Amino acid sequence: MADNKDLDTTGHKWDDDEGFPLQEYNNPLPKWWLNSFYATIIWSVVYWVLYPAWPLPDGFTPGTLGTTMRGEYQKEMDEAKAKQKVFNDKLDKLSLKEISKDNQLLQFSISGGKALFGDNCAPCHGPAGIGVKAGGFPTLADDDWLFGGDLDTIQETITNGRNGQMPAHAKAAGGNFTDAQVDDLTQYVLSLSGKSTDKPAITRGDALFRGEAACTTCHGDKGNGSLKGTVNGEKPPQVGAPNLTDGIWLYGGDQKTVRESIAKGRMGEMPAWGAGIKESGRQLSALDIKKLTIYVHSLGGGQ
Amino acid sequence: MDQNLARTYDYEVIKKFSIGAVIYAVVGFLVGVIIALELTFPELNANIPYISFGRLRPLHTSAVIFAFGGSVLFACSYYIVQRTCKARLFSDFLSNFTFWGWNLVVVLVVITYPLGITQGKEYAEPIWPIDLLITVVWVAYFINFVGTLARRKEPHIYVANWFLLSFIITVAILHITNNLAIPVSLTDSYPVWAGVQDAMIQWWYGHNAVGFFLTAAFLGLMYYFVPKQAERPVYSYRLSIVHFWALVFMYIWAGPHHLHYTALPDWASTLGATFSIMLLLPSWGGMINGIMTLSGAWHKLRTDPILRFFIVSLSFYGMSTFEGPMMSIKAVNALSHYTDWTIGHVHSGALGWVAMVSFACLYHMMPRLWNTQLYSLRLVNVHFWLATIGVVIYIVPMWISGIMQGLMWRAYDSFGNLSYSFAETVGAMHPYYLFRAIGGIVFLVGALVMVYNIAKTIAGANQNPAKAV
Repeated sequence: MADNKDLDTTGHKWDDDEGFPLQEYNNPLPKWWLNSFYATIIWSVVYWVLYPAWPLPDGFTPGTLGTTMRGEYQKEMDEAKAKQKVFNDKLDKLSLKEISKDNQLLQFSISGGKALFGDNCAPCHGPAGIGVKAGGFPTLADDDWLFGGDLDTIQETITNGRNGQMPAHAKAAGGNFTDAQVDDLTQYVLSLSGKSTDKPAITRGDALFRGEAACTTCHGDKGNGSLKGTVNGEKPPQVGAPNLTDGIWLYGGDQKTVRESIAKGRMGEMPAWGAGIKESGRQLSALDIKKLTIYVHSLGGGQ
Repeated sequence: MDQNLARTYDYEVIKKFSIGAVIYAVVGFLVGVIIALELTFPELNANIPYISFGRLRPLHTSAVIFAFGGSVLFACSYYIVQRTCKARLFSDFLSNFTFWGWNLVVVLVVITYPLGITQGKEYAEPIWPIDLLITVVWVAYFINFVGTLARRKEPHIYVANWFLLSFIITVAILHITNNLAIPVSLTDSYPVWAGVQDAMIQWWYGHNAVGFFLTAAFLGLMYYFVPKQAERPVYSYRLSIVHFWALVFMYIWAGPHHLHYTALPDWASTLGATFSIMLLLPSWGGMINGIMTLSGAWHKLRTDPILRFFIVSLSFYGMSTFEGPMMSIKAVNALSHYTDWTIGHVHSGALGWVAMVSFACLYHMMPRLWNTQLYSLRLVNVHFWLATIGVVIYIVPMWISGIMQGLMWRAYDSFGNLSYSFAETVGAMHPYYLFRAIGGIVFLVGALVMVYNIAKTIAGANQNPAKAV
């Protein structure tokens, strides 16, 4: 293929035995390109003057701005910390009750607790404490508490952790009851929230619940949990046994899950954040726990 | 055409590499789609360690960069160096050795990464025995390439070959330096570098893998295939010289911009940023030379989808090489670093530039290797649109989510408390991750169209050799 501009090329040709041969025009460098290139060089020289740039035998050129990346970071952190400090100092001295009565301190604690909660608590308790599907982690946004929803109890729960132990009942899992008895207990527990109508099984389960299985010891005579319930008119030990009558479930309220809880038992563990997590060594300061306490208390169920 | 001359070229090794490139493209994109979906729906890894994100991600990057990109480069550089030197490849043994050696590397990578056997350096994950094999293959490639140049029957070395030679030499130096290590067992070794020096060497390597493997080398391909396909002389010989030397000189300094706001000393960081800015125009020199080569032949874009691939790839190249220097400025980097913006930037370069220019090169070269014509230009056009739309669906959500992520991370409220927990920023990414996966799927479908088109082309050539032009 002939080209009229052959004269403008460098005169070299390559790969000319098939198709169009490779040639090169010798156009000058585009002016805008060259000027922009110079501009980037000038920009760089200015940047070198302003910032630390060239290494020297005993250090480096420091730059006239006097800023460093670490310095910038530190400055932003210091500013944030200075803003927090005014409030943190008060938070340190005041009790939870006093903090919750001061509107500004309350807002500060909730704002600080929110991010702390998101980074440390949300993986199990869900964003804003609304719970997660997998189960076993209490919802914190309602007023159904296992150990108590007042400020001091929440603080205690976060600081020292909690253990919720439901023993196994089925013989196969090391308990004392036959499969049929576990079925009866299941029907009775479901009936407490109106989810079973199998009368003969409920009657048998009721007897086991109060008798041989001794569920009342922890869940109370009415099955409404260690927090609200009573055993023979007295408060049961505070072991976090859930209320079985309110239709709110820790592991799930379908027949299969309830049966599994009774048969195999459950082991719930809330880590002790004040002492540090065994696996990660992660620990929250007393101040952070105060903020978290106020935040969790504010989620909807604080008492 | 001078049949005698053509017969002296070694096309067999190029055919093998180019078929490998087409297959690896699909594999690499597929793994990319899988991990994009895993990020969107984490349950998809089914708790199987071998297919978890952490193990498949390096498999994806290595498959697309080194298996696909590497095969394209071997194939095209062997094609270019022979035709522009009018000489057969230096050694048939070395040609075959590089093919089987490189593919053995790929196989070993595919086996070791999912098993979790890596040395944990980004884009340099292979363990030391594989690194040694890569080194041997690369030296063979160097000898084969330089040997061919030495046997050339043309007085001048064509510009494409400068770029390719700089790529081969620099990648050798980068690979060896970054992987210097003391083995302690067959699978384990300790790097000789430590601490921030190790980080700096790693990103000097990482950035120049982009600079020389994915930029200089593919510019070399562009310098051969664009004028050939457009049937126009290269726009400016002078520009090619100036931007070549500026590019290779500037690029090697730019690595520290990957380590802004880390333990890296400030001065190194500043030099990285400024050399990245000065790199902008040298990078654009290649784009200008490619696009301006079409001046006077723009009408060809209407009828030639291969040329369309070239022009759009050069446009993405120009866009990414503008975006990169911007992101290397410390103030911008403070926002963009560690966010999806980086992922969007990388893919506008990797999909928009590298993959699309590779497709165009393969579409130009493969019919000529088999001495036939493409099965369907219409399907090339279909591939072109799928690829272009796929890239856009991929990178736009990544820009949005990246900037959003950066802003969320640094947001403070009036009390000086963080506005968002990290988990909230992860949750906010979800819709963008979904769009990213969709973009990847569209791009992958385009590659499957290419596989069909190329397979039909080769099958047609084998059935009916007489059809050849």
